[in-house]
Amino acid sequence: MNDFDPVLLAVLSNRMESIVREMENTLLRSGRSAVLNLARDFSCAIVTGDNRLLSSAEGLPVHVIGMEALAQAMTDLHDDIAPGDAFLHNDPYLGNTHTADHTILVPVFFAGRHVFTAAAKAHQADCGNAAPSTYMPFARDVYEEGGLIFPAVRVQRNREDVQDIIRMCRRRIRVPDQWYGDYLAMLGAARIGEARLAELCERYGLDVVEAFVEEWFDYSERRVREVIRRMPPGTFEAEGRHDPLGPGHESVPIRVRVAVDPAEERIEVDLTDNIDCVDAGVNQSVTCATNNAMTGVFNSIDPDIPHNSGTFRRVSVKLRENCVVGIPRFPHSCSVATTNVGERLVVTTQRAFAEARDGTGLAEGACGIGPGFAVVSGKDPFRDDQPYVNQMFLGSQGGPAGPEHDGWVTYGNSVTNGLMYRDVVEVIERKYPIRVSQLRMRTDSEGAGRRRGAPGAVVSYGPRAGRLTANYVTDNHHYPPLGVRGGGTGAASLPRRVHADGGEEDVAPIGGQEIPVGEELIHLLSGGGGYGDPLDREPERVREDVLARWVSFERAREVYGVLFERDVPSDELEVDAEATRRKREELRRRGVNHDCRAT
Amino acid sequence: MPYRIAVDTGGTFTDVVVSDEEGRLHVGKAPTTRARAFDAIAEALAGVAEEMGLDVGGLLGSASGLTYGTTRATNAIVEGKTARTAFFTTAGFPDILLLREGGKQNPFRQMPYPPPYVPRHLTFEIPERVDSDGGVFTALDEGSVLGAIEGARRAGCEAVGVCLLWSTVNPEHELRVGSMLDEHWPGVAYTLSHRLNPIVREYRRASAAVIDASLKPLMRDYLTTMERDLREAGFKGNLLITTSYGGSWRRELITEKPIYTVGSGPSMAPVAAKTYAAAEFGEEDGAGDLVVCDTGGTTFDVGLVRDGEIQTTPETWLGPRWTGHMTGIRSVDVKSIGAGGGSIAYVDPGGLLHVGPQSAGAEPGPACYGRGGVRPTVTDAAVVLGYINPEYFLGGRLSLDAGMAADAIASGVGEPLGMSVEEAASAVLTVATENIVGATREITIAQGIDPREVSMVAGGGAAGLNVVPIARELGCRGVLVPSTAGALSACGALHAELVSEFAVSAFTETGDFDYEMVNAALAEVERLADEFFVDLGDMSLRDTAKQYLVEARYPMQVWELEVELPSRRLHGERDVHAMEEAFHTAHERVFAVKEPGQSIECVNWKVRARARRETPSVHTGARAAESPRAHGAGPDSPTRGRAYFPGFGHVEVERHPGGSLPPGEIVVGPAIIEEPTTTLVIYPESHARVTAAGNYRIEFTRDTPSALALATAKGAKA
Repeated sequence: MNDFDPVLLAVLSNRMESIVREMENTLLRSGRSAVLNLARDFSCAIVTGDNRLLSSAEGLPVHVIGMEALAQAMTDLHDDIAPGDAFLHNDPYLGNTHTADHTILVPVFFAGRHVFTAAAKAHQADCGNAAPSTYMPFARDVYEEGGLIFPAVRVQRNREDVQDIIRMCRRRIRVPDQWYGDYLAMLGAARIGEARLAELCERYGLDVVEAFVEEWFDYSERRVREVIRRMPPGTFEAEGRHDPLGPGHESVPIRVRVAVDPAEERIEVDLTDNIDCVDAGVNQSVTCATNNAMTGVFNSIDPDIPHNSGTFRRVSVKLRENCVVGIPRFPHSCSVATTNVGERLVVTTQRAFAEARDGTGLAEGACGIGPGFAVVSGKDPFRDDQPYVNQMFLGSQGGPAGPEHDGWVTYGNSVTNGLMYRDVVEVIERKYPIRVSQLRMRTDSEGAGRRRGAPGAVVSYGPRAGRLTANYVTDNHHYPPLGVRGGGTGAASLPRRVHADGGEEDVAPIGGQEIPVGEELIHLLSGGGGYGDPLDREPERVREDVLARWVSFERAREVYGVLFERDVPSDELEVDAEATRRKREELRRRGVNHDCRAT
Repeated sequence: MPYRIAVDTGGTFTDVVVSDEEGRLHVGKAPTTRARAFDAIAEALAGVAEEMGLDVGGLLGSASGLTYGTTRATNAIVEGKTARTAFFTTAGFPDILLLREGGKQNPFRQMPYPPPYVPRHLTFEIPERVDSDGGVFTALDEGSVLGAIEGARRAGCEAVGVCLLWSTVNPEHELRVGSMLDEHWPGVAYTLSHRLNPIVREYRRASAAVIDASLKPLMRDYLTTMERDLREAGFKGNLLITTSYGGSWRRELITEKPIYTVGSGPSMAPVAAKTYAAAEFGEEDGAGDLVVCDTGGTTFDVGLVRDGEIQTTPETWLGPRWTGHMTGIRSVDVKSIGAGGGSIAYVDPGGLLHVGPQSAGAEPGPACYGRGGVRPTVTDAAVVLGYINPEYFLGGRLSLDAGMAADAIASGVGEPLGMSVEEAASAVLTVATENIVGATREITIAQGIDPREVSMVAGGGAAGLNVVPIARELGCRGVLVPSTAGALSACGALHAELVSEFAVSAFTETGDFDYEMVNAALAEVERLADEFFVDLGDMSLRDTAKQYLVEARYPMQVWELEVELPSRRLHGERDVHAMEEAFHTAHERVFAVKEPGQSIECVNWKVRARARRETPSVHTGARAAESPRAHGAGPDSPTRGRAYFPGFGHVEVERHPGGSLPPGEIVVGPAIIEEPTTTLVIYPESHARVTAAGNYRIEFTRDTPSALALATAKGAKA
């Protein structure tokens, strides 16, 4: 500890978080596309003038870790940064996550110096890709991907739009008015951050604020050091696998090697032992490879430590050049970097911790952006055939079980960890010519365990008029979420098409479907993996799961070994303790496989 | 003017406020009686009646009205003691209440997922479907409704919440379910979502419907009994019940929509604040912007008054945001910050001091209560600093152990941070203050209010401990602390207007404005408002007012802003243009950006109806009387003591018994004013003036740094 006033430390850290939350509130309420104003697929952060991540409040893990790299690109590329500037940055080769995440960077000046950067990053409804989707899994390179790239380009000077840039976006983005509205929302958020940070410097004096910044990083480092110091030493590995990208493609293996060094108070995740970049859109950008591995670590240690550049002094990720989960080699595409392989990186890392030692880490959560999270597009017959495109977040897939708690139901995926909002059926149906015909939890989809994964959902939708195009990148179809320490696997993800006569047909898990009126897409989403032996689960909890329709009577009996006095789905349901004991003994003897068999 | 009575039945205490013929306020307090709420009211009234030379019957008999607020509904929900309720929903969507709208506080924290308000096995799917344009896609399967009724009955349900998709656009199916319930399950309590709360967003509407239904049997009995007890005790006046919307309703209306009593207590604080501010700052100034603080043991509640209007929100959570249950109804926007008197201070392993949100509550309470609490709290810090007199806490109702407070602060905060016990206590209060300042700033700014242009009104038992540095750090113009600060909600109830809001959904865009539809919608909401007034016919209203509003947004946005209409009907481009301009201005105020020239989407058309009764004035020049039974006798004249202030160290202070200060008196800080229900700390470089009505106005000596800045100035040396 140094002599910075601990009271002021508490005051200013609170103030910084408060500024970021104010930025976020602005973006949520004023954004135009559903991906922002319903699903909250955005994040804000404060970066120091010398490009270190300071504060990120409730930002999505995949967005905020790496904001400093975006600011770094801005200062590297421009030597004439001036008050009133704003920069548009989405280049995955210069610190961004993927092309579809537009970031607005506003340099904050005080006393003539660039002291902070206020950053607002938001996933766009469209980014000008070759197809109406913000994820291009089959793009062999950035040219096929087709999205407009802005490597930290000045988009405002003297607080006025640089019209050239605005016109370029308007010309190539499919929903120009919506994009401009979202741009204004991001800009408003960053400008609010700018104003508040300047006020803060005015109020406390720049020297105090700068001293605070150093102390805050030191404090954050102390916190994480303290956590690592108490961990047992060890190096442990796990391997995961993303589904094959389609016919003719291999699955994508992921090898994670974690080294915990309590003596040095460091954790390093080594990703170098992985395959080269693939000629597809699933390569990680540097920022995604880093932040997804870190998320896996942060999921496995004290959740209360701050997550900023002070923490990053002690948690590092080792990458290599030309690697699918490393430093991509141009012109490979990173179009899908924020999800899919990125999600796998998170869940494999947290699983490595769990498999190394009981009581730590997590099972695997469900992965992928299947039809339940598709980018939908088409023309809206109710609005003069006006085009629409947007990613929906209707589905719900299960969070992983941990040593203490069952999985989180509205998990979304591992890169957002439950932070995102869900789409609201009525708002989606009003905004787009879509009808959702069901959204319910999927029985027997949870990875069983002493702590079980959260169940997935079943969602069905189709066009109410016109034709609906849905593009998606399902995972967990071939490789469903793994349990740990005797916990079961979650149910596989099943994307299907429902014909007008009610018949169902499996569709390719990765790709697109054009759906006419009368037909639907149905997606049975995965549950999260379980933690520990399901035969050790408290029978009362199994009873609750049965009443919630998450676990069938049959599964309660055969997987959890729990029997009831009478199989009634009501309050009268009572565990038969003696029968349960006997059944569990029998199952232990037989050593059953409790993976999901939900269909 | 005849007597008027306001009652606030809280979880622990029942407050009563009576205004007499001259408008003087008399305050009474008694422990809440759970079995029969009236007993506590009678006990609290007895003290007041005695003071007025009456008995309870006489007081009740000569009262023209009684406004009643209760936490009964809130407590029943918290304790899970509401009616067993079934949820009827559109087939395919049985998990609306489970999934909510997503969101989570900390991405890296594993925690149990919160259960739905109605469990899945009491949820019944009804095959039917209405589309977003109101067309029927699937006809209502009446057989299934009968099956659901039978199932719910068999499961022992006593209430039904019904929410079908798009019932706001076409309520036919919900209405039919309602009439089938009437026919096949006569007498069951039920709520139809579109009737209670006609908003788009199925989770909010469903949540409101099931919460409301679950409260109906309970609140009907409770309020009916209350009214009978009051009548039997001689009360002949009008009985009004306070609502979460910041007004009051007739008892008959509230039993139809009991969800509106949830959170009604906190919603009264801004009403009181607005009334006091208008009286003390003058109608002109008082009609401006106010930050309203009400502090209790566990939370610091903040509400806002902007342009004289109490701010409301459509998002109120029972329990934590995202993981509790949203009420879905528009309520007074009161945000709770975990920084009350009982909030616990601790130092984390990295050496950072935190205060709250964990609270020691009332049991075991702060360490100084001597009831087994050992962790340091804000109250302990205030005792160490000499702000709270251990002998005269809560008017002497509880005597505190200063030694235990000091031990807890020293071991929990002082030692880990290497500070003296006073420095540590001061740090605890400073961090608590900062938590409040930060959250309050977010709340004000999110509404487009600059905290530097507002006054603060503070109430609640613990507010006086740090309201001065809070207001100073926010840059507020000044602070008003009513002498009855401890009973702010009951005082609000006394002044509450009869307020209701009526809304009709009618979508149109300003680029292609549907005048006929909009004016029809406005006529409809106006008719509903007039009906509301007619129902109040016998209440000797002073005046009524209707405000016409639209909820609008830019194209593709999904969160609307509420904007007042230029006139009660829209007759041409000029009116529509004026509405657009008002929207652009509001958007810029709240979100920092606007898009001039862009058309706007109009979603809901509303009328806010308010009726004012004759209410007591606060200009009477009389001190509030306190029930002598409510507290022990305190000293009559100032005593001297020592208190610690950051930047000043230990200083001599005068401790003034509240009642001893005559109007016009100026108390210069550092000083402490002890009211029976609150302690007001006047920090150095501020002073309090006792107003003609016996309230306190605190002003700051100009151009001096705030206490927080002083507390933290040494940070600069780092």
